[in-house]
Amino acid sequence: MKRIGRGIGLSFYGTGYGNGFPDVSRAKVRLLKDGNVGIYVGGTEVGQGARTIFYQIGSETLKLSSDNISFITEDTSLMPDSGTAAASRQTYNTGNAIKIACENFMDRLREVAKRELKLNSTQGLKVNNGKIYLEFFPRKVISFKELAQKQKGNVIEAEGEFVAQTVEMDSETGQGAPYWPYTFNACGVELEVDVLTGKVEILKTRFAQDVGRAINPHLIEGQMDGGFAMALGYVLFEDLNINEGRIKNQKFSKYLIPTAMDMIDLENVIVEDPESTAPFGAKGVGEPVMIPIAPAILNAIYDAVGVRITELPATPEKLIEAIEDSKEGRVVKHG
Amino acid sequence: MRMSLDIVGKNMIRVDALSKVTGKAIYPADVYMDNMLYGKTLRSKVPHAYITVNTKEAENIDGVIKIFTCKDVPTNEHGVVFKDHEVFCSKKVRRIGDPIAFVVATDIKTCDLALEKIKVNYEEIEGVFDPISAMKEDAPKVHEGNNIMYHYKLRKGDTEKGFESSYVIAENTYKTHMVDHAFLQPESGVSYIDEEGRVTVVVATQYPHYDREEIARALNISEDEIRIINASIGGAFGGREDISLQIHLALAAKEIKRPIKVVYSREESFISHSKRHPLIMKYKTGADKNGKLLAMEADIIGDTGAYASWATNVLRKAGVHATGPYYIPNVKVDSIAVYTNNPFAGAMRGFGATQPPIAYEQQMDILAEELGIDPITIRMKNMFKKGSETATGQILTESVPLEECLNKVLEDMDLNLDRKGAY
Repeated sequence: MKRIGRGIGLSFYGTGYGNGFPDVSRAKVRLLKDGNVGIYVGGTEVGQGARTIFYQIGSETLKLSSDNISFITEDTSLMPDSGTAAASRQTYNTGNAIKIACENFMDRLREVAKRELKLNSTQGLKVNNGKIYLEFFPRKVISFKELAQKQKGNVIEAEGEFVAQTVEMDSETGQGAPYWPYTFNACGVELEVDVLTGKVEILKTRFAQDVGRAINPHLIEGQMDGGFAMALGYVLFEDLNINEGRIKNQKFSKYLIPTAMDMIDLENVIVEDPESTAPFGAKGVGEPVMIPIAPAILNAIYDAVGVRITELPATPEKLIEAIEDSKEGRVVKHG
Repeated sequence: MRMSLDIVGKNMIRVDALSKVTGKAIYPADVYMDNMLYGKTLRSKVPHAYITVNTKEAENIDGVIKIFTCKDVPTNEHGVVFKDHEVFCSKKVRRIGDPIAFVVATDIKTCDLALEKIKVNYEEIEGVFDPISAMKEDAPKVHEGNNIMYHYKLRKGDTEKGFESSYVIAENTYKTHMVDHAFLQPESGVSYIDEEGRVTVVVATQYPHYDREEIARALNISEDEIRIINASIGGAFGGREDISLQIHLALAAKEIKRPIKVVYSREESFISHSKRHPLIMKYKTGADKNGKLLAMEADIIGDTGAYASWATNVLRKAGVHATGPYYIPNVKVDSIAVYTNNPFAGAMRGFGATQPPIAYEQQMDILAEELGIDPITIRMKNMFKKGSETATGQILTESVPLEECLNKVLEDMDLNLDRKGAY
């Protein structure tokens, strides 16, 4: 017999290192000899999409096609330290550093262009599409390429640094401002529990994630799908089976992670409410997308069969035992 | 007002997509160099023991170039917050999988043979595997000093008074388990001396500058003499924050001056890197007749296993997020991290904020049911909005669209569940 249940999970998540620890990202922008722009930044692409987000932030700020930008993010001898690819901090922290570095770089370009164009001031100089020009007299124009070629060994470059703001908490009361910004989300799940086998099947989800502002909606949806899958494994089947410090399930034939067969098409909703301290309003979502899923599933299981699973994972064995116990009126909670 | 933007907000195709789907992306295991040697790590087979190591017989095997142990490392320690890991265990192992020696040989088979011939004498000592037992005075000590290695306290208002005024109180204990990041690409790396004489490590890491710092410290050389090249990375999720093979590789390249390659098997990956902290979360939550939350107490105990890694930050984050996204006037949280002889726990997606919702969101549903109101109403009544104050006294001044998130879910899912008399 199968029973259907629905459940909700809400969460909040503070991004960044937090608690007053210096959280610093740095970036360097340089005009290359061929007129393209190199951006040097120590932010790591771990699969989350950081490199693409960096291109979009750099391209938007410089008003330059991403085809004319090269990011160097792999070699410590070439790039400044931008902190770790963790704490959902690369879009917000390193994104801010890139934006600041690009703005400083455009100021440098205007100064050099002023000299090359024999102007008295940088006022009214626009940087757009690889050119610097005087807006009200566009014949006064120089391209990035011409500018680069005229420098003869002088490198046009600028740096940018972003330091996030948090306040260390009091050691006795925990009062302080440990993180900024926070992100929020809500996930609703409808599922089916087979009361004979204990198997749980997800039927429908509706998952809404606050992102501040979406730099790349597809990449956010990718994070939401991945976060859901990871949480699904966490709550229903992943188990290292550790006994006296020994991991028994130490390979994928025994440690079960979700496959495409366990996933359904999620109804993902991106909620935008731009954050003023963020690059174009964008907050980090890498971690928060995993967080409300497990409780939504547990609440839906309760709705379906009337048992509270208080100890993870909610394996079929544990569910059947809990259902049997609840029939006999012994315990409703199960740990 | 929103700015009009050209590329922000657009679905630009991932810049790394083509190379990854065509198999052209270079992961560290794809790197082969002329004159390259291979390395393998000898790891502890027991969770708690004093050790002595004899590598003599293994060193005499044909094709073995060198076997590194603790005596070869100038500063034999590392760790993201506390330097409580040894590069190679010197006197004691604290978990299964602790590194003891690193064999460099001409091929992998010879490495395996040498690992078998290294004699480790384990003088086993009693281990401790559950954090509650580990907190007792007379429990076996994993490191020098107490096993309780961190205690975060959060105090707001007066919870006793809050519970006195409460109409319903829910008290439950929730337990989460230790899990693995299960990233698809196991740890691998190649080290060599580059054309400028720098110790170079090609690796897949979340933070190359941190790796450089730890290598500099362990090898007692300057950061300028080290170069980390971050290759393509097959997932991380926090599991690539601690040092794994970086120092072993750097040490070997510096001494042998030939390229060295290491690729972990899936099993070695599982036993060597960090895990998600299992938490025991004892919750007491009180609300008035209308479902308004009045008080919450949470006692959280986290098992960090044999090493600290990020335990302080993770248990702190668990404590800060223990209320959930709800305004509660009276809050008391104690969040503790404890050493055991289990695999060590560290960073993993959510970093201590993933476990508490297992507790606080079930508490919300339990309170709602006892009050005869539905799960949405109780959440709407208490949720953070613009201007709300968190339990740490922080004001959420902007970008707090939680109610909008919930409404978006409700647009296409009926969750106003009436459970009166259902069970």
